[in-house]
Amino acid sequence: MVEPKQREKQNAPNGRARLAVGVAIAGWFVPGLGHLLLRKWGRAVVYFLAVGTLAVVGLALRGNTFSASWDAFDMLGFLADLGAGVFYFVSKFIENAGPDVSRAAGDYGTRFFATAGVLNLLCVLDAHEIARRRKA
Amino acid sequence: MNLNHFQAMLLFAFAISVAFAFLTKRRLEERVKYALWAFLAFLLVAVAVGWLMYPISR
Repeated sequence: MVEPKQREKQNAPNGRARLAVGVAIAGWFVPGLGHLLLRKWGRAVVYFLAVGTLAVVGLALRGNTFSASWDAFDMLGFLADLGAGVFYFVSKFIENAGPDVSRAAGDYGTRFFATAGVLNLLCVLDAHEIARRRKA
Repeated sequence: MNLNHFQAMLLFAFAISVAFAFLTKRRLEERVKYALWAFLAFLLVAVAVGWLMYPISR
Protein backbone atom coordinates (compact mmCIF):
# COMPACT_ATOMS: atom_id res chain seq x y z
CA MET A 1 0.00 0.00 0.00
CA VAL A 2 1.29 3.47 -0.93
CA GLU A 3 1.55 5.97 1.90
CA PRO A 4 -0.13 9.40 1.30
CA LYS A 5 3.22 11.21 1.58
CA GLN A 6 4.81 8.83 -0.92
CA ARG A 7 1.85 9.28 -3.31
CA GLU A 8 2.25 13.06 -3.01
CA LYS A 9 5.92 12.73 -3.99
CA GLN A 10 5.03 10.53 -6.97
CA ASN A 11 2.38 12.98 -8.16
CA ALA A 12 4.58 16.06 -7.74
CA PRO A 13 6.43 15.70 -11.07
CA ASN A 14 3.08 15.39 -12.90
CA GLY A 15 1.78 18.49 -11.16
CA ARG A 16 4.93 20.40 -12.09
CA ALA A 17 4.67 19.24 -15.69
CA ARG A 18 1.06 20.47 -15.89
CA LEU A 19 2.03 23.78 -14.28
CA ALA A 20 4.89 24.15 -16.77
CA VAL A 21 2.56 23.61 -19.73
CA GLY A 22 0.07 26.14 -18.31
CA VAL A 23 2.83 28.66 -17.70
CA ALA A 24 4.18 28.13 -21.23
CA ILE A 25 0.76 28.70 -22.81
CA ALA A 26 0.16 31.83 -20.69
CA GLY A 27 3.66 33.12 -21.55
CA TRP A 28 3.08 32.53 -25.25
CA PHE A 29 -0.30 34.30 -25.29
CA VAL A 30 0.82 37.34 -23.28
CA PRO A 31 4.61 37.82 -23.32
CA GLY A 32 5.95 37.77 -19.76
CA LEU A 33 2.77 36.35 -18.21
CA GLY A 34 4.43 32.96 -17.68
CA HIS A 35 7.15 34.58 -15.59
CA LEU A 36 4.57 36.71 -13.79
CA LEU A 37 2.71 33.54 -12.72
CA LEU A 38 6.04 32.21 -11.41
CA ARG A 39 6.53 35.47 -9.49
CA LYS A 40 9.56 36.48 -11.54
CA TRP A 41 8.45 40.11 -11.71
CA GLY A 42 11.57 41.66 -13.20
CA ARG A 43 11.87 39.16 -16.01
CA ALA A 44 8.14 39.38 -16.75
CA VAL A 45 8.35 43.17 -17.23
CA VAL A 46 11.55 43.02 -19.30
CA TYR A 47 10.21 40.28 -21.62
CA PHE A 48 6.88 42.04 -22.07
CA LEU A 49 8.59 45.33 -22.91
CA ALA A 50 11.18 43.75 -25.24
CA VAL A 51 8.66 41.64 -27.18
CA GLY A 52 6.01 44.38 -27.10
CA THR A 53 8.39 47.09 -28.31
CA LEU A 54 9.64 44.98 -31.22
CA ALA A 55 6.10 43.94 -32.19
CA VAL A 56 4.50 47.39 -31.96
CA VAL A 57 7.40 49.17 -33.69
CA GLY A 58 7.38 46.46 -36.36
CA LEU A 59 3.70 47.12 -37.04
CA ALA A 60 4.13 50.91 -36.82
CA LEU A 61 6.83 50.63 -39.50
CA ARG A 62 4.11 48.87 -41.54
CA GLY A 63 5.79 45.50 -41.57
CA ASN A 64 4.04 42.45 -42.98
CA THR A 65 2.52 39.73 -40.81
CA PHE A 66 2.12 36.30 -42.38
CA SER A 67 -1.00 34.11 -42.45
CA ALA A 68 -1.02 30.30 -42.53
CA SER A 69 -0.04 29.08 -45.99
CA TRP A 70 1.43 25.97 -47.63
CA ASP A 71 4.30 28.02 -49.03
CA ALA A 72 7.38 27.08 -46.96
CA PHE A 73 8.64 30.63 -46.43
CA ASP A 74 5.18 31.98 -45.62
CA MET A 75 4.69 29.13 -43.15
CA LEU A 76 8.00 29.92 -41.42
CA GLY A 77 7.03 33.59 -41.27
CA PHE A 78 3.61 32.66 -39.89
CA LEU A 79 5.12 30.46 -37.16
CA ALA A 80 7.58 33.20 -36.18
CA ASP A 81 4.83 35.84 -36.13
CA LEU A 82 2.46 33.58 -34.19
CA GLY A 83 5.10 33.38 -31.45
CA ALA A 84 4.26 36.98 -30.51
CA GLY A 85 0.94 35.72 -29.07
CA VAL A 86 -1.65 38.41 -28.46
CA PHE A 87 0.33 40.95 -30.51
CA TYR A 88 -0.22 38.78 -33.59
CA PHE A 89 -3.97 38.57 -33.01
CA VAL A 90 -4.36 42.34 -32.51
CA SER A 91 -1.88 43.30 -35.23
CA LYS A 92 -4.67 44.46 -37.56
CA PHE A 93 -5.90 46.90 -34.90
CA ILE A 94 -2.47 48.32 -34.03
CA GLU A 95 -1.72 49.48 -37.59
CA ASN A 96 -4.88 50.05 -39.61
CA ALA A 97 -3.07 51.07 -42.79
CA GLY A 98 -1.71 47.54 -43.28
CA PRO A 99 1.73 46.47 -44.49
CA ASP A 100 3.86 48.47 -46.92
CA VAL A 101 7.09 46.70 -47.78
CA SER A 102 7.81 48.93 -50.78
CA ARG A 103 9.95 51.04 -48.39
CA ALA A 104 12.96 49.80 -46.40
CA ALA A 105 11.16 50.70 -43.15
CA GLY A 106 8.33 48.30 -43.98
CA ASP A 107 10.84 45.51 -44.54
CA TYR A 108 12.48 46.29 -41.18
CA GLY A 109 9.03 46.13 -39.62
CA THR A 110 8.50 42.61 -40.96
CA ARG A 111 11.80 41.49 -39.37
CA PHE A 112 11.01 43.31 -36.10
CA PHE A 113 7.70 41.50 -35.75
CA ALA A 114 9.15 38.07 -36.61
CA THR A 115 11.96 38.68 -34.10
CA ALA A 116 9.39 39.58 -31.44
CA GLY A 117 7.71 36.22 -32.05
CA VAL A 118 10.90 34.17 -31.90
CA LEU A 119 12.11 36.07 -28.84
CA ASN A 120 8.81 35.33 -27.09
CA LEU A 121 9.22 31.63 -27.86
CA LEU A 122 12.63 31.76 -26.12
CA CYS A 123 10.94 33.42 -23.12
CA VAL A 124 8.28 30.68 -23.13
CA LEU A 125 11.01 28.02 -23.01
CA ASP A 126 12.67 29.90 -20.13
CA ALA A 127 9.38 30.02 -18.17
CA HIS A 128 8.77 26.33 -18.87
CA GLU A 129 12.23 25.38 -17.59
CA ILE A 130 11.79 27.50 -14.46
CA ALA A 131 8.40 25.86 -13.77
CA ARG A 132 10.01 22.42 -14.17
CA ARG A 133 12.74 23.55 -11.73
CA ARG A 134 15.47 22.88 -14.24
CA LYS A 135 16.48 26.54 -14.08
CA ALA A 136 16.50 29.20 -11.35
CA MET B 1 6.36 55.90 -38.13
CA ASN B 2 9.66 56.01 -39.94
CA LEU B 3 13.12 55.07 -38.69
CA ASN B 4 16.36 55.29 -40.60
CA HIS B 5 18.70 52.31 -40.84
CA PHE B 6 20.79 53.33 -37.85
CA GLN B 7 17.84 54.07 -35.54
CA ALA B 8 16.22 50.73 -36.43
CA MET B 9 19.51 48.94 -35.75
CA LEU B 10 19.93 50.69 -32.37
CA LEU B 11 16.41 49.82 -31.24
CA PHE B 12 16.69 46.22 -32.42
CA ALA B 13 20.10 45.71 -30.78
CA PHE B 14 18.92 47.27 -27.50
CA ALA B 15 15.74 45.17 -27.16
CA ILE B 16 17.47 41.91 -28.05
CA SER B 17 20.55 42.55 -25.89
CA VAL B 18 18.50 43.28 -22.77
CA ALA B 19 16.22 40.27 -23.32
CA PHE B 20 19.19 37.94 -23.94
CA ALA B 21 20.93 39.25 -20.81
CA PHE B 22 17.88 38.37 -18.71
CA LEU B 23 17.50 34.99 -20.41
CA THR B 24 21.08 33.87 -19.93
CA LYS B 25 22.36 35.59 -16.76
CA ARG B 26 20.97 35.67 -13.23
CA ARG B 27 22.94 38.34 -11.36
CA LEU B 28 22.36 42.04 -12.09
CA GLU B 29 26.05 42.78 -12.61
CA GLU B 30 26.38 39.89 -15.09
CA ARG B 31 23.25 41.02 -16.91
CA VAL B 32 24.49 44.60 -17.32
CA LYS B 33 27.87 43.40 -18.60
CA TYR B 34 26.30 40.93 -21.01
CA ALA B 35 23.72 43.43 -22.31
CA LEU B 36 26.43 46.02 -22.98
CA TRP B 37 28.68 43.47 -24.65
CA ALA B 38 25.88 42.09 -26.85
CA PHE B 39 24.66 45.60 -27.77
CA LEU B 40 28.14 46.70 -28.88
CA ALA B 41 28.73 43.38 -30.68
CA PHE B 42 25.45 43.83 -32.62
CA LEU B 43 26.49 47.32 -33.73
CA LEU B 44 30.09 46.42 -34.59
CA VAL B 45 29.13 43.33 -36.58
CA ALA B 46 26.39 45.23 -38.47
CA VAL B 47 28.80 48.05 -39.39
CA ALA B 48 31.53 45.53 -40.35
CA VAL B 49 29.14 43.52 -42.56
CA GLY B 50 27.96 46.81 -44.12
CA TRP B 51 31.53 47.72 -45.06
CA LEU B 52 32.21 44.18 -46.34
CA MET B 53 29.27 44.54 -48.73
CA TYR B 54 30.33 48.00 -49.87
CA PRO B 55 32.42 46.77 -52.88
CA ILE B 56 29.43 44.87 -54.30
CA SER B 57 26.90 47.63 -53.61
CA ARG B 58 27.08 49.10 -57.14
